[in-house]
Amino acid sequence: MESSKNGRESNEEISEKDENILSFLDSMDTYLTLMDSLSSTLRQGWLELASARHSMGASRINSTLLDLKFHRASTTLQVNEQSAGPDRELPHFTLRKWASSNNPEKNFEEAKFGEDELLKIKSNSLRRRDTSQSSEIQARSPESVGTPVSVDDLAQRERSKSLSMFGTLVSPKLRASQVSFETGTVATLFI
Amino acid sequence: MYGFEALTFNVHGGYLEAIVRGYRSGLLTAADYNNLCQCESLEDIKMHLSATEYGPYLQNEPSPLHTTTIVEKCTLKLVDEYKQMLCQATEPLSTFLEYITYGHMIDNVVLIVTGTLHERDVQELLEKCHPLGMFDSIATLAVAQNMRELYRLVLVDTPLAPYFSECITSEDLDDMNIEIMRNTLYKAYLEDFYRFCQKLGGATSEIMSDILAFEADRRAVNITINSIGTELTRDDRRKLYSNFGLLYPYGHEELAISEDIDQVRGVMEKYPPYQSIFSKLSYGESQMLDKAFYEEEVKRLCLSFEQQFHYGVFFAYMRLREQEIRNLMWISECVAQNQKSRVHDSVVFIF
Repeated sequence: MESSKNGRESNEEISEKDENILSFLDSMDTYLTLMDSLSSTLRQGWLELASARHSMGASRINSTLLDLKFHRASTTLQVNEQSAGPDRELPHFTLRKWASSNNPEKNFEEAKFGEDELLKIKSNSLRRRDTSQSSEIQARSPESVGTPVSVDDLAQRERSKSLSMFGTLVSPKLRASQVSFETGTVATLFI
Repeated sequence: MYGFEALTFNVHGGYLEAIVRGYRSGLLTAADYNNLCQCESLEDIKMHLSATEYGPYLQNEPSPLHTTTIVEKCTLKLVDEYKQMLCQATEPLSTFLEYITYGHMIDNVVLIVTGTLHERDVQELLEKCHPLGMFDSIATLAVAQNMRELYRLVLVDTPLAPYFSECITSEDLDDMNIEIMRNTLYKAYLEDFYRFCQKLGGATSEIMSDILAFEADRRAVNITINSIGTELTRDDRRKLYSNFGLLYPYGHEELAISEDIDQVRGVMEKYPPYQSIFSKLSYGESQMLDKAFYEEEVKRLCLSFEQQFHYGVFFAYMRLREQEIRNLMWISECVAQNQKSRVHDSVVFIF
Protein backbone atom coordinates (compact mmCIF):
# COMPACT_ATOMS: atom_id res chain seq x y z
CA MET A 1 0.00 0.00 0.00
CA GLU A 2 2.75 2.35 0.92
CA SER A 3 4.67 1.47 -2.20
CA SER A 4 1.63 2.11 -4.41
CA LYS A 5 1.19 5.46 -2.64
CA ASN A 6 4.85 6.26 -3.31
CA GLY A 7 4.36 5.11 -6.91
CA ARG A 8 1.37 7.50 -7.34
CA GLU A 9 3.35 10.35 -5.90
CA SER A 10 6.32 9.72 -8.13
CA ASN A 11 3.93 9.51 -11.12
CA GLU A 12 2.52 12.87 -10.12
CA GLU A 13 6.00 14.33 -9.80
CA ILE A 14 6.98 12.97 -13.18
CA SER A 15 3.80 14.28 -14.74
CA GLU A 16 4.42 17.71 -13.16
CA LYS A 17 7.95 17.73 -14.49
CA ASP A 18 6.71 16.70 -17.90
CA GLU A 19 4.29 19.59 -17.84
CA ASN A 20 7.07 21.97 -16.91
CA ILE A 21 9.24 20.69 -19.73
CA LEU A 22 6.40 20.99 -22.21
CA SER A 23 5.66 24.50 -21.02
CA PHE A 24 9.32 25.43 -21.38
CA LEU A 25 9.47 23.99 -24.89
CA ASP A 26 6.30 25.89 -25.78
CA SER A 27 7.86 29.11 -24.52
CA MET A 28 11.03 28.42 -26.51
CA ASP A 29 8.98 27.81 -29.64
CA THR A 30 7.05 31.01 -29.04
CA TYR A 31 10.23 32.97 -28.43
CA LEU A 32 11.91 31.71 -31.59
CA THR A 33 8.81 32.39 -33.67
CA LEU A 34 8.54 35.92 -32.31
CA MET A 35 12.24 36.58 -32.91
CA ASP A 36 11.89 35.33 -36.46
CA SER A 37 8.89 37.56 -37.01
CA LEU A 38 10.61 40.58 -35.46
CA SER A 39 13.69 40.05 -37.60
CA SER A 40 11.56 39.81 -40.72
CA THR A 41 9.58 42.94 -39.82
CA LEU A 42 12.71 44.97 -39.11
CA ARG A 43 14.37 43.81 -42.35
CA GLN A 44 11.28 44.92 -44.23
CA GLY A 45 11.33 48.27 -42.42
CA TRP A 46 14.97 48.94 -43.25
CA LEU A 47 14.46 48.03 -46.89
CA GLU A 48 11.41 50.28 -47.12
CA LEU A 49 13.47 53.09 -45.61
CA ALA A 50 16.16 52.53 -48.24
CA SER A 51 13.44 52.48 -50.90
CA ALA A 52 12.05 55.78 -49.61
CA ARG A 53 15.55 57.25 -49.70
CA HIS A 54 15.95 56.03 -53.28
CA SER A 55 12.62 57.59 -54.21
CA MET A 56 12.84 60.92 -52.38
CA GLY A 57 16.59 61.47 -52.60
CA ALA A 58 19.42 61.40 -50.08
CA SER A 59 19.01 65.10 -49.24
CA ARG A 60 15.46 64.53 -48.00
CA ILE A 61 16.10 61.43 -45.92
CA ASN A 62 19.27 61.52 -43.89
CA SER A 63 20.32 61.62 -40.27
CA THR A 64 21.03 65.38 -40.27
CA LEU A 65 17.31 66.09 -40.50
CA LEU A 66 16.48 64.33 -37.24
CA ASP A 67 15.01 66.73 -34.73
CA LEU A 68 17.30 67.43 -31.77
CA LYS A 69 14.72 69.51 -29.93
CA PHE A 70 13.33 68.02 -26.75
CA HIS A 71 10.03 66.21 -27.25
CA ARG A 72 8.13 63.54 -25.42
CA ALA A 73 8.35 59.94 -26.53
CA SER A 74 5.32 59.03 -28.56
CA THR A 75 5.44 55.39 -27.45
CA THR A 76 6.07 54.34 -23.86
CA LEU A 77 6.02 51.05 -21.99
CA GLN A 78 5.13 50.93 -18.32
CA VAL A 79 5.70 47.82 -16.21
CA ASN A 80 3.90 47.49 -12.88
CA GLU A 81 3.74 44.70 -10.38
CA GLN A 82 0.20 43.62 -9.62
CA SER A 83 -0.97 41.26 -6.97
CA ALA A 84 -2.26 37.96 -8.38
CA GLY A 85 -3.02 36.29 -5.07
CA PRO A 86 -1.35 35.68 -1.72
CA ASP A 87 2.44 35.87 -2.01
CA ARG A 88 2.27 36.25 -5.75
CA GLU A 89 2.85 39.26 -7.98
CA LEU A 90 2.70 39.35 -11.74
CA PRO A 91 4.16 42.04 -14.01
CA HIS A 92 1.58 44.12 -15.83
CA PHE A 93 2.59 45.76 -19.12
CA THR A 94 1.01 48.92 -20.47
CA LEU A 95 2.03 50.00 -23.98
CA ARG A 96 1.00 53.53 -24.93
CA LYS A 97 1.39 54.31 -28.62
CA TRP A 98 1.21 57.67 -30.33
CA ALA A 99 0.58 59.74 -27.22
CA SER A 100 -0.22 63.31 -28.23
CA SER A 101 2.73 65.67 -27.83
CA ASN A 102 0.24 68.46 -27.02
CA ASN A 103 -1.59 66.49 -24.37
CA PRO A 104 0.59 63.62 -23.20
CA GLU A 105 -1.94 62.36 -20.66
CA LYS A 106 -4.33 61.54 -23.48
CA ASN A 107 -3.19 58.23 -24.88
CA PHE A 108 -4.63 57.34 -28.22
CA GLU A 109 -3.71 53.68 -28.38
CA GLU A 110 -3.17 51.80 -25.21
CA ALA A 111 -2.72 48.10 -24.78
CA LYS A 112 -2.68 46.59 -21.33
CA PHE A 113 -1.46 43.09 -20.83
CA GLY A 114 -0.95 41.07 -17.74
CA GLU A 115 1.63 38.33 -17.92
CA ASP A 116 -1.05 35.64 -17.93
CA GLU A 117 -2.80 37.24 -20.90
CA LEU A 118 0.46 37.43 -22.79
CA LEU A 119 1.14 33.75 -22.14
CA LYS A 120 -2.38 32.86 -23.26
CA ILE A 121 -2.07 34.87 -26.46
CA LYS A 122 1.25 33.22 -27.21
CA SER A 123 0.10 29.66 -26.57
CA ASN A 124 -3.12 30.08 -28.56
CA SER A 125 -1.70 31.77 -31.58
CA LEU A 126 1.88 30.71 -32.03
CA ARG A 127 2.09 27.23 -33.47
CA ARG A 128 3.41 28.33 -36.82
CA ARG A 129 6.35 30.38 -38.02
CA ASP A 130 5.28 32.93 -40.58
CA THR A 131 5.39 36.64 -41.07
CA SER A 132 1.70 37.16 -40.46
CA GLN A 133 2.52 36.74 -36.78
CA SER A 134 3.27 40.40 -36.18
CA SER A 135 0.08 41.64 -37.79
CA GLU A 136 -1.91 39.15 -35.72
CA ILE A 137 -0.29 40.35 -32.52
CA GLN A 138 -1.06 43.94 -33.35
CA ALA A 139 -4.63 43.09 -34.26
CA ARG A 140 -5.32 41.41 -30.94
CA SER A 141 -6.68 43.47 -28.11
CA PRO A 142 -5.47 47.03 -27.86
CA GLU A 143 -7.83 48.91 -25.60
CA SER A 144 -8.52 52.23 -27.16
CA VAL A 145 -9.27 55.36 -25.23
CA GLY A 146 -12.04 57.32 -26.93
CA THR A 147 -14.10 56.31 -29.97
CA PRO A 148 -12.35 54.02 -32.51
CA VAL A 149 -12.63 56.50 -35.39
CA SER A 150 -11.15 59.43 -33.46
CA VAL A 151 -8.35 57.25 -32.07
CA ASP A 152 -7.31 56.17 -35.59
CA ASP A 153 -7.43 59.72 -36.91
CA LEU A 154 -5.40 61.14 -34.07
CA ALA A 155 -2.90 58.29 -34.20
CA GLN A 156 -2.52 58.89 -37.93
CA ARG A 157 -1.97 62.56 -37.23
CA GLU A 158 0.74 61.78 -34.70
CA ARG A 159 2.36 59.40 -37.19
CA SER A 160 2.42 62.15 -39.82
CA LYS A 161 3.79 64.59 -37.28
CA SER A 162 6.69 62.34 -36.40
CA LEU A 163 7.51 61.97 -40.10
CA SER A 164 7.33 65.71 -40.69
CA MET A 165 11.05 66.10 -39.97
CA PHE A 166 11.57 64.65 -43.45
CA GLY A 167 8.96 66.99 -44.97
CA THR A 168 5.19 67.10 -45.04
CA LEU A 169 4.79 65.42 -48.43
CA VAL A 170 6.64 62.16 -47.99
CA SER A 171 6.57 59.02 -50.07
CA PRO A 172 4.16 56.19 -49.13
CA LYS A 173 7.29 54.03 -48.80
CA LEU A 174 8.45 56.10 -45.84
CA ARG A 175 5.05 55.73 -44.19
CA ALA A 176 5.20 51.97 -44.80
CA SER A 177 8.62 51.89 -43.18
CA GLN A 178 7.20 53.70 -40.16
CA VAL A 179 4.41 51.14 -39.84
CA SER A 180 6.92 48.28 -40.05
CA PHE A 181 9.02 49.68 -37.23
CA GLU A 182 5.87 50.33 -35.20
CA THR A 183 4.88 46.69 -35.68
CA GLY A 184 8.36 45.68 -34.60
CA THR A 185 7.95 47.69 -31.40
CA VAL A 186 4.80 45.77 -30.50
CA ALA A 187 6.49 42.46 -31.33
CA THR A 188 9.36 43.39 -29.01
CA LEU A 189 6.88 43.79 -26.18
CA PHE A 190 5.66 40.24 -26.67
CA ILE A 191 9.20 38.93 -26.75
CA MET B 1 16.03 69.59 -89.24
CA TYR B 2 14.69 72.57 -87.30
CA GLY B 3 16.68 75.78 -87.63
CA PHE B 4 19.74 74.84 -89.64
CA GLU B 5 21.67 74.08 -86.45
CA ALA B 6 23.95 71.84 -88.49
CA LEU B 7 25.45 74.96 -90.07
CA THR B 8 26.38 76.83 -86.91
CA PHE B 9 26.13 74.61 -83.83
CA ASN B 10 29.64 73.15 -84.03
CA VAL B 11 31.24 76.59 -83.96
CA HIS B 12 30.59 76.96 -80.24
CA GLY B 13 29.00 73.69 -79.11
CA GLY B 14 30.61 71.00 -81.26
CA TYR B 15 33.53 70.28 -78.98
CA LEU B 16 31.42 69.96 -75.85
CA GLU B 17 28.82 67.84 -77.61
CA ALA B 18 31.61 65.45 -78.56
CA ILE B 19 32.83 65.49 -74.95
CA VAL B 20 29.40 64.68 -73.54
CA ARG B 21 28.88 61.88 -76.04
CA GLY B 22 32.20 60.48 -74.90
CA TYR B 23 31.05 60.70 -71.30
CA ARG B 24 27.84 58.91 -72.27
CA SER B 25 29.79 55.91 -73.52
CA GLY B 26 31.16 55.50 -69.99
CA LEU B 27 27.75 54.81 -68.47
CA LEU B 28 27.38 51.37 -66.88
CA THR B 29 25.87 48.66 -69.07
CA ALA B 30 23.50 45.80 -68.24
CA ALA B 31 26.51 43.47 -67.93
CA ASP B 32 28.03 45.80 -65.31
CA TYR B 33 24.78 45.84 -63.36
CA ASN B 34 24.51 42.04 -63.51
CA ASN B 35 27.98 41.76 -62.00
CA LEU B 36 27.18 44.31 -59.34
CA CYS B 37 23.91 42.59 -58.42
CA GLN B 38 25.82 39.40 -57.66
CA CYS B 39 28.21 41.02 -55.20
CA GLU B 40 28.21 39.69 -51.67
CA SER B 41 29.57 42.77 -49.92
CA LEU B 42 30.30 46.45 -50.42
CA GLU B 43 33.97 45.58 -50.90
CA ASP B 44 32.98 43.43 -53.87
CA ILE B 45 31.04 46.37 -55.29
CA LYS B 46 34.09 48.59 -54.85
CA MET B 47 36.20 45.98 -56.64
CA HIS B 48 33.81 45.83 -59.60
CA LEU B 49 33.54 49.60 -59.80
CA SER B 50 37.34 49.91 -59.80
CA ALA B 51 37.25 48.60 -63.38
CA THR B 52 34.87 51.40 -64.41
CA GLU B 53 35.29 55.16 -64.57
CA TYR B 54 34.41 55.33 -60.86
CA GLY B 55 37.62 53.46 -60.02
CA PRO B 56 39.84 56.45 -59.24
CA TYR B 57 37.19 57.94 -56.96
CA LEU B 58 36.75 54.81 -54.83
CA GLN B 59 40.20 53.28 -54.79
CA ASN B 60 41.46 55.20 -51.74
CA GLU B 61 38.40 54.68 -49.60
CA PRO B 62 39.22 52.69 -46.47
CA SER B 63 37.25 49.72 -45.22
CA PRO B 64 34.61 49.32 -43.96
CA LEU B 65 32.74 51.00 -46.78
CA HIS B 66 29.30 52.53 -46.33
CA THR B 67 26.62 52.98 -48.95
CA THR B 68 26.68 56.75 -48.42
CA THR B 69 30.41 56.78 -49.18
CA ILE B 70 29.88 55.00 -52.50
CA VAL B 71 27.15 57.49 -53.45
CA GLU B 72 29.26 60.49 -52.42
CA LYS B 73 32.29 59.42 -54.42
CA CYS B 74 30.26 58.57 -57.51
CA THR B 75 28.59 61.98 -57.24
CA LEU B 76 32.03 63.63 -57.15
CA LYS B 77 32.77 62.16 -60.56
CA LEU B 78 29.58 63.68 -61.95
CA VAL B 79 30.47 67.04 -60.40
CA ASP B 80 33.97 66.98 -61.94
CA GLU B 81 32.59 66.24 -65.39
CA TYR B 82 29.99 68.96 -65.05
CA LYS B 83 32.59 71.54 -64.02
CA GLN B 84 34.82 70.59 -66.95
CA MET B 85 31.94 71.19 -69.34
CA LEU B 86 30.80 74.41 -67.65
CA CYS B 87 34.23 76.04 -67.67
CA GLN B 88 34.50 75.52 -71.43
CA ALA B 89 30.95 76.48 -72.35
CA THR B 90 29.95 79.78 -73.93
CA GLU B 91 26.59 81.44 -73.91
CA PRO B 92 23.87 80.28 -74.12
CA LEU B 93 25.15 76.80 -73.28
CA SER B 94 26.72 78.00 -70.02
CA THR B 95 23.36 79.35 -68.84
CA PHE B 96 21.71 76.11 -69.91
CA LEU B 97 24.23 74.11 -67.87
CA GLU B 98 23.65 76.34 -64.85
CA TYR B 99 19.92 75.77 -65.08
CA ILE B 100 20.55 72.06 -64.62
CA THR B 101 21.91 72.71 -61.10
CA TYR B 102 19.12 74.95 -59.78
CA GLY B 103 17.07 71.93 -58.66
CA HIS B 104 19.95 70.85 -56.42
CA MET B 105 20.28 74.40 -55.15
CA ILE B 106 16.66 74.34 -54.05
CA ASP B 107 17.18 71.01 -52.30
CA ASN B 108 20.22 72.39 -50.47
CA VAL B 109 18.35 75.51 -49.34
CA VAL B 110 15.53 73.40 -47.94
CA LEU B 111 18.01 71.03 -46.28
CA ILE B 112 19.78 73.88 -44.48
CA VAL B 113 16.54 75.57 -43.42
CA THR B 114 14.95 72.31 -42.20
CA GLY B 115 18.07 71.22 -40.37
CA THR B 116 18.37 74.63 -38.68
CA LEU B 117 14.72 74.38 -37.60
CA HIS B 118 15.63 71.06 -35.98
CA GLU B 119 18.61 72.65 -34.19
CA ARG B 120 21.29 70.85 -36.18
CA ASP B 121 24.81 72.17 -36.65
CA VAL B 122 25.33 74.12 -39.88
CA GLN B 123 28.63 72.39 -40.69
CA GLU B 124 26.92 69.02 -40.43
CA LEU B 125 24.23 70.19 -42.83
CA LEU B 126 26.71 71.65 -45.31
CA GLU B 127 28.46 68.27 -45.55
CA LYS B 128 25.17 66.69 -46.64
CA CYS B 129 24.43 69.29 -49.33
CA HIS B 130 24.64 68.24 -52.97
CA PRO B 131 27.88 69.67 -54.43
CA LEU B 132 26.15 70.75 -57.65
CA GLY B 133 23.83 73.00 -55.65
CA MET B 134 26.38 74.90 -53.57
CA PHE B 135 26.68 78.68 -53.67
CA ASP B 136 28.75 81.20 -51.73
CA SER B 137 26.42 82.40 -49.03
CA ILE B 138 24.64 79.13 -48.37
CA ALA B 139 25.78 78.92 -44.74
CA THR B 140 24.05 82.24 -43.97
CA LEU B 141 20.69 80.54 -44.52
CA ALA B 142 20.84 79.31 -40.94
CA VAL B 143 20.15 82.77 -39.48
CA ALA B 144 16.85 83.38 -41.33
CA GLN B 145 13.63 83.08 -39.32
CA ASN B 146 11.11 83.43 -42.13
CA MET B 147 11.01 83.44 -45.92
CA ARG B 148 11.28 87.21 -46.16
CA GLU B 149 14.58 87.11 -44.29
CA LEU B 150 15.70 84.10 -46.33
CA TYR B 151 15.22 86.16 -49.46
CA ARG B 152 16.59 89.45 -48.14
CA LEU B 153 19.70 88.08 -46.41
CA VAL B 154 20.81 85.35 -48.78
CA LEU B 155 18.79 84.39 -51.80
CA VAL B 156 18.42 87.81 -53.38
CA ASP B 157 21.93 87.42 -54.85
CA THR B 158 21.46 83.87 -56.09
CA PRO B 159 19.85 82.51 -59.25
CA LEU B 160 16.86 81.41 -57.12
CA ALA B 161 15.85 85.01 -56.37
CA PRO B 162 13.27 85.30 -59.19
CA TYR B 163 11.56 82.15 -57.96
CA PHE B 164 10.85 83.59 -54.53
CA SER B 165 8.28 86.12 -55.62
CA GLU B 166 5.49 83.54 -55.29
CA CYS B 167 6.31 82.39 -51.80
CA ILE B 168 7.59 85.35 -49.81
CA THR B 169 5.70 85.65 -46.56
CA SER B 170 6.55 86.79 -43.08
CA GLU B 171 5.27 83.59 -41.53
CA ASP B 172 7.75 81.70 -39.45
CA LEU B 173 9.29 78.69 -41.12
CA ASP B 174 7.70 75.41 -40.06
CA ASP B 175 7.50 71.99 -41.69
CA MET B 176 4.42 72.72 -43.79
CA ASN B 177 5.63 76.14 -44.95
CA ILE B 178 9.02 74.70 -45.86
CA GLU B 179 7.37 71.95 -47.91
CA ILE B 180 5.21 74.47 -49.75
CA MET B 181 8.28 76.66 -50.29
CA ARG B 182 10.22 73.70 -51.73
CA ASN B 183 7.51 72.78 -54.20
CA THR B 184 6.71 76.39 -55.13
CA LEU B 185 10.38 77.10 -55.86
CA TYR B 186 10.72 73.97 -57.94
CA LYS B 187 7.56 74.82 -59.87
CA ALA B 188 8.90 78.31 -60.63
CA TYR B 189 12.29 76.85 -61.63
CA LEU B 190 10.78 74.31 -64.01
CA GLU B 191 8.60 76.93 -65.67
CA ASP B 192 11.56 79.29 -66.05
CA PHE B 193 13.75 76.54 -67.49
CA TYR B 194 10.95 75.62 -69.90
CA ARG B 195 10.63 79.23 -71.10
CA PHE B 196 14.41 79.48 -71.54
CA CYS B 197 14.48 76.34 -73.69
CA GLN B 198 11.57 77.61 -75.76
CA LYS B 199 13.51 80.82 -76.39
CA LEU B 200 16.52 78.82 -77.59
CA GLY B 201 14.32 77.28 -80.25
CA GLY B 202 15.20 74.54 -82.73
CA ALA B 203 15.99 70.99 -81.67
CA THR B 204 16.86 72.08 -78.13
CA SER B 205 13.40 73.52 -77.63
CA GLU B 206 11.67 70.47 -79.08
CA ILE B 207 13.60 67.89 -77.09
CA MET B 208 13.81 69.77 -73.81
CA SER B 209 10.10 70.68 -73.91
CA ASP B 210 9.24 67.00 -74.05
CA ILE B 211 11.61 66.08 -71.22
CA LEU B 212 10.59 68.98 -68.97
CA ALA B 213 6.89 68.37 -69.62
CA PHE B 214 7.35 64.79 -68.47
CA GLU B 215 9.18 66.05 -65.38
CA ALA B 216 6.33 68.45 -64.59
CA ASP B 217 3.74 65.71 -65.00
CA ARG B 218 5.69 63.30 -62.83
CA ARG B 219 6.00 65.91 -60.10
CA ALA B 220 2.27 66.53 -60.24
CA VAL B 221 1.59 62.81 -59.74
CA ASN B 222 4.11 62.52 -56.89
CA ILE B 223 2.75 65.61 -55.13
CA THR B 224 -0.76 64.16 -55.41
CA ILE B 225 0.17 60.74 -54.06
CA ASN B 226 2.36 62.11 -51.27
CA SER B 227 -0.33 64.56 -50.15
CA ILE B 228 -3.08 61.95 -49.84
CA GLY B 229 -4.12 61.80 -46.19
CA THR B 230 -2.21 64.98 -45.23
CA GLU B 231 -3.43 68.42 -44.25
CA LEU B 232 -2.62 69.93 -47.66
CA THR B 233 -5.85 71.30 -49.09
CA ARG B 234 -6.98 70.74 -52.67
CA ASP B 235 -6.36 74.38 -53.54
CA ASP B 236 -2.85 74.30 -52.11
CA ARG B 237 -2.17 71.07 -53.95
CA ARG B 238 -3.38 72.58 -57.22
CA LYS B 239 -1.08 75.59 -56.73
CA LEU B 240 1.99 73.32 -56.57
CA TYR B 241 1.44 71.87 -60.07
CA SER B 242 3.47 73.45 -62.89
CA ASN B 243 1.63 75.43 -65.56
CA PHE B 244 2.78 73.29 -68.46
CA GLY B 245 2.95 69.65 -69.39
CA LEU B 246 0.57 67.13 -70.87
CA LEU B 247 -1.61 67.15 -67.77
CA TYR B 248 -2.02 70.93 -67.77
CA PRO B 249 -4.73 72.11 -67.20
CA TYR B 250 -7.46 69.46 -67.19
CA GLY B 251 -5.40 66.64 -65.73
CA HIS B 252 -4.33 68.92 -62.89
CA GLU B 253 -7.96 69.72 -62.06
CA GLU B 254 -8.71 66.03 -61.70
CA LEU B 255 -5.51 65.24 -59.81
CA ALA B 256 -6.23 68.02 -57.33
CA ILE B 257 -9.41 66.23 -56.18
CA SER B 258 -7.98 62.69 -56.18
CA GLU B 259 -8.11 60.99 -52.78
CA ASP B 260 -6.42 57.67 -53.48
CA ILE B 261 -4.03 55.96 -55.88
CA ASP B 262 -6.83 54.40 -57.95
CA GLN B 263 -8.32 57.83 -58.68
CA VAL B 264 -4.86 59.01 -59.74
CA ARG B 265 -4.63 55.99 -62.02
CA GLY B 266 -8.02 56.86 -63.49
CA VAL B 267 -6.82 60.36 -64.32
CA MET B 268 -3.49 59.26 -65.83
CA GLU B 269 -4.91 56.49 -67.98
CA LYS B 270 -6.76 59.07 -70.04
CA TYR B 271 -3.39 60.18 -71.41
CA PRO B 272 -1.88 57.63 -73.86
CA PRO B 273 1.80 58.26 -72.99
CA TYR B 274 1.05 57.39 -69.36
CA GLN B 275 -1.18 54.39 -69.98
CA SER B 276 1.87 52.18 -70.47
CA ILE B 277 3.29 53.32 -67.12
CA PHE B 278 0.16 52.55 -65.13
CA SER B 279 -0.53 49.34 -66.99
CA LYS B 280 2.54 47.88 -65.26
CA LEU B 281 0.96 48.45 -61.84
CA SER B 282 -1.78 46.46 -60.19
CA TYR B 283 -4.75 48.27 -58.64
CA GLY B 284 -4.05 49.97 -55.35
CA GLU B 285 -0.30 49.59 -55.79
CA SER B 286 2.07 52.53 -55.81
CA GLN B 287 5.34 50.87 -54.84
CA MET B 288 6.54 50.28 -58.41
CA LEU B 289 5.32 53.62 -59.73
CA ASP B 290 8.67 55.30 -59.13
CA LYS B 291 10.51 52.65 -61.11
CA ALA B 292 7.98 52.88 -63.95
CA PHE B 293 8.47 56.66 -64.13
CA TYR B 294 12.25 56.32 -64.02
CA GLU B 295 12.15 53.80 -66.87
CA GLU B 296 10.06 56.14 -68.99
CA GLU B 297 12.39 59.05 -68.20
CA VAL B 298 15.48 57.02 -69.13
CA LYS B 299 13.86 56.04 -72.43
CA ARG B 300 13.23 59.71 -73.31
CA LEU B 301 16.71 60.77 -72.20
CA CYS B 302 18.39 58.07 -74.30
CA LEU B 303 16.32 59.09 -77.33
CA SER B 304 17.71 62.64 -77.09
CA PHE B 305 21.14 61.28 -78.06
CA GLU B 306 19.72 60.12 -81.38
CA GLN B 307 19.77 63.71 -82.62
CA GLN B 308 22.67 66.09 -82.99
CA PHE B 309 23.25 69.82 -82.59
CA HIS B 310 21.16 70.52 -79.53
CA TYR B 311 21.72 71.10 -75.80
CA GLY B 312 19.37 68.34 -74.68
CA VAL B 313 22.24 65.86 -74.67
CA PHE B 314 23.87 67.72 -71.77
CA PHE B 315 20.73 67.61 -69.67
CA ALA B 316 20.15 63.99 -70.63
CA TYR B 317 23.67 62.98 -69.67
CA MET B 318 23.42 64.63 -66.24
CA ARG B 319 20.10 62.93 -65.58
CA LEU B 320 21.35 59.55 -66.76
CA ARG B 321 24.34 59.78 -64.46
CA GLU B 322 22.08 60.65 -61.56
CA GLN B 323 19.97 57.61 -62.40
CA GLU B 324 23.10 55.49 -62.47
CA ILE B 325 24.08 56.78 -59.03
CA ARG B 326 20.59 55.93 -57.78
CA ASN B 327 21.03 52.43 -59.16
CA LEU B 328 24.36 52.06 -57.39
CA MET B 329 22.83 53.33 -54.16
CA TRP B 330 20.03 50.78 -54.36
CA ILE B 331 22.32 47.87 -55.21
CA SER B 332 24.62 48.84 -52.33
CA GLU B 333 21.71 49.02 -49.88
CA CYS B 334 20.40 45.59 -50.95
CA VAL B 335 23.86 44.06 -50.63
CA ALA B 336 24.52 45.71 -47.26
CA GLN B 337 21.14 44.57 -45.90
CA ASN B 338 21.50 41.08 -47.37
CA GLN B 339 18.35 41.54 -49.48
CA LYS B 340 19.72 40.69 -52.90
CA SER B 341 16.42 39.17 -53.96
CA ARG B 342 14.96 42.69 -53.99
CA VAL B 343 17.76 44.28 -55.97
CA HIS B 344 15.81 44.35 -59.24
CA ASP B 345 12.89 46.19 -57.61
CA SER B 346 14.43 49.58 -58.33
CA VAL B 347 17.37 49.18 -60.72
CA VAL B 348 16.68 50.86 -64.07
CA PHE B 349 18.94 49.72 -66.88
CA ILE B 350 20.13 52.53 -69.10
CA PHE B 351 21.39 50.43 -72.00
